[in-house]
Amino acid sequence: MFKNIKTIFSKNKFGNSLLLFLAVFGPATITAMSDNDAAGVATYSLAGAKFGYSILFVLLFVTILLAITQEMGVRIAVTTGKGLGDLIRELFGVRVSVFIFFGLTLANLGTIIANLSAIKVTTQMFGLPSLPFIILIIIMSFIFVTKGNYKTNQNVFLMTSLFYVAYIISAVKTHPDWNLALRSTILPTSIHLSRDFVFAAIAVLGTTITPWGQFFVHSYVIDKKITGEKHLKYAQIETFVGAFLTDFFSFFMITATAATLFVHKIPLLSGEQAALAIKPFAGELASILFGLGILNAGFMGMVIVGLTTAYAFSEFFGYEGSLDKPFQKSRQFYLLFLLQLSIAGVIVLMPSISLFKIVFFTQSLNGMLLPVIFYFLLKVTNNKKLMGKHTNNKWYNYFAIICSFIIIIAALFTIISSLFKF
Amino acid sequence: MLYFSEVKGKKVLTEDNVEIGKLDDLIFLASTNPLITKLVVKNKLQEEFLIPISYIHKMNKDIYLKKGFQTNDLSENEIYINKNLVDTQIIDLKGNKVVRVNDVAIQDKDNLMVFGIDIGFLGILRWFYSGEAIVKTLHFLGLKPAPKFLSWGDVQPLELAKGKVILKKNEERLKNLRPEDLADYLEKTNIANTRKMLKILDKNLAKEVIESFNVNYQISLFHTFKSDRIIEWLNLIDDDEAVDILLTFSKKKRTEIINALDKEKQKKVLYLLEYTETAIGSLLIADYMTVKPTNTVREVINRIKKETGDYYYFNDVYVVNDMNQLIGVFNLHELIISDIDAQVYKFMHQKLILLYLTTPKGIALRKFLKYRLHVLPVIDFNRKILGVVAIDDLSNLIKQK
Repeated sequence: MFKNIKTIFSKNKFGNSLLLFLAVFGPATITAMSDNDAAGVATYSLAGAKFGYSILFVLLFVTILLAITQEMGVRIAVTTGKGLGDLIRELFGVRVSVFIFFGLTLANLGTIIANLSAIKVTTQMFGLPSLPFIILIIIMSFIFVTKGNYKTNQNVFLMTSLFYVAYIISAVKTHPDWNLALRSTILPTSIHLSRDFVFAAIAVLGTTITPWGQFFVHSYVIDKKITGEKHLKYAQIETFVGAFLTDFFSFFMITATAATLFVHKIPLLSGEQAALAIKPFAGELASILFGLGILNAGFMGMVIVGLTTAYAFSEFFGYEGSLDKPFQKSRQFYLLFLLQLSIAGVIVLMPSISLFKIVFFTQSLNGMLLPVIFYFLLKVTNNKKLMGKHTNNKWYNYFAIICSFIIIIAALFTIISSLFKF
Repeated sequence: MLYFSEVKGKKVLTEDNVEIGKLDDLIFLASTNPLITKLVVKNKLQEEFLIPISYIHKMNKDIYLKKGFQTNDLSENEIYINKNLVDTQIIDLKGNKVVRVNDVAIQDKDNLMVFGIDIGFLGILRWFYSGEAIVKTLHFLGLKPAPKFLSWGDVQPLELAKGKVILKKNEERLKNLRPEDLADYLEKTNIANTRKMLKILDKNLAKEVIESFNVNYQISLFHTFKSDRIIEWLNLIDDDEAVDILLTFSKKKRTEIINALDKEKQKKVLYLLEYTETAIGSLLIADYMTVKPTNTVREVINRIKKETGDYYYFNDVYVVNDMNQLIGVFNLHELIISDIDAQVYKFMHQKLILLYLTTPKGIALRKFLKYRLHVLPVIDFNRKILGVVAIDDLSNLIKQK
């Protein structure tokens, strides 16, 4: 793989290669960045506050696992020209498809609720009225998705991803011990292998590698119409870049809370409260930037997870589903997107609903879906008829299977631990 | 009518009850006449056998094969329903995704043949054991999901072999359609389009297409033609249909047209017109019952018990759509032998023998005798049922004359 990268960026071809890379750039990075949604930020903040820099070592593994799984997804999409939903329906039939679709829809709805809920909490912290803000953000998201084409949507998502820089500034403002942070990322430093640490490590993994992420990267590659041999290697490189960028920003989220809340032994009960909690140690700017970061992550997570269900519906049931299609031609796609956001909005605004139970249910469902999705991924990447010369080779297959097993065990662990906590 | 989801997994046995395996798939001809040719049976060892359908002895809960059945190989132009058609993405000519194949409808009268593609919600539900319970619950809640079909005539059979379900929606490809499908399609477009299409079609196909139009459309179409074109088409189409159309013209125009017809045709038309003096409207009786396609056998039987006690003659139940247009018929025998919770669209006949108020008595009598029926429905030009005519009343009237 590294040999390939070297060839691609060799002097003579550099300009051409860069253009091709930029042409395919988007899907994998956006998918990976949206793994840092509001729920992700909350998890990183809690982990950083409780275990300090030591939890950073987990990020290295998560980055590798994310890169491997996303690469398989991108490779399948570019080679077959089909989304994960298409392939599951065509290879495993309508019964399996209906079960997977309903599981995914419910889990995604839970994730959208978690993101909207984080937006609600953050608006309250900033003293903004939640109800109009949530209604406004749902309407704006719908207009943005229906009126814009793929290109405008991608550009907005990439711009939104830039907002993650807020976490870098926030982290810098907390004056962390950079040496210790970097050392802890590469080498295991001050790790106390307690039960809680294992849970936190798994939570970090679970918030980054998700069933919806696997579906979305497929669909987004298809919607961008990335096909053909010459694009594949650049799309593969992008998955590694995306995975790196995601955890690059996660590093700063953890560092910000590690340098403040962990160092001063301030317990954090909810991830969304991190913006307020770091204020006394890092100043107002860091606090505001952290809060804006959560708002931004919530918006990105909500839109992308909503789109994932809509894409999956179109693929499973054969309807037109593309950001490049007008509303009249992709009605089901856009209406399903709106429906999810509206249901989530109503639930978040209901005071009597237990968000804790919803998040627990979502985590469990994601945990159950993930092994099944990886089974499909491995099945397809080993299908010579579909993948041709891009079938997993023996060593890659072993590696992918080991990675999948780690993720599956982590997912099952999360469900079981949640059950005990519940 | 059967669905593939209902037959897949049925036990396949010999006449003397020896189990061979389970039905895994069906093989059919990828052509405009999609006859089902072979059963694909898998045994417990997952070995696959292709058995020609001519060996089917009977098919009910299980499939029984005749003794001494033989297996065969896949022939040219044959493809699998499950492997090549079910779950496949349907696209239109421009490559837009339309929907997926949820199930395949099979016509089980005379020959087994692919009838159409189920693209609706019911097509998905049928694959689930709880599907029927969901449908019953929806019915209980007052929601009656109707089946949604794509006619076989809308699909390009040649593309199927390449694993693609592509719809045919441009004029060149319409020539390969069955006349009745083409008629259905043209009825939905405007008359100008239909005239253009009839001009480019082969004469025989055009004749069949005209005969497949509903009478209302036929009349509207002929009234847009100039005399020479009317004469040309009337010479080609069936005598009964020609008389129905001629009766809608003024007496002067009718005489002018008849005089210009071929001698043989002229003779037949004049003979039939002699019977048009008395309209069959005077024979109409209201002893008939209509139901909706989604009504179940149970619901229909309950209605028959309540409503038909004082009927003069009752054997057929007519099926009408939401616009009250007649779309099917079934008789009491077909009703009784069907599953009590089956919806009537599953076994109704869609090919109808109909009378219009303008149908001459002689032609009506010929239809009764030709199809050996006792009662025929009379409809208006909007396909709405006006009443029924019994052969006894008609023959008495003719006898009196």
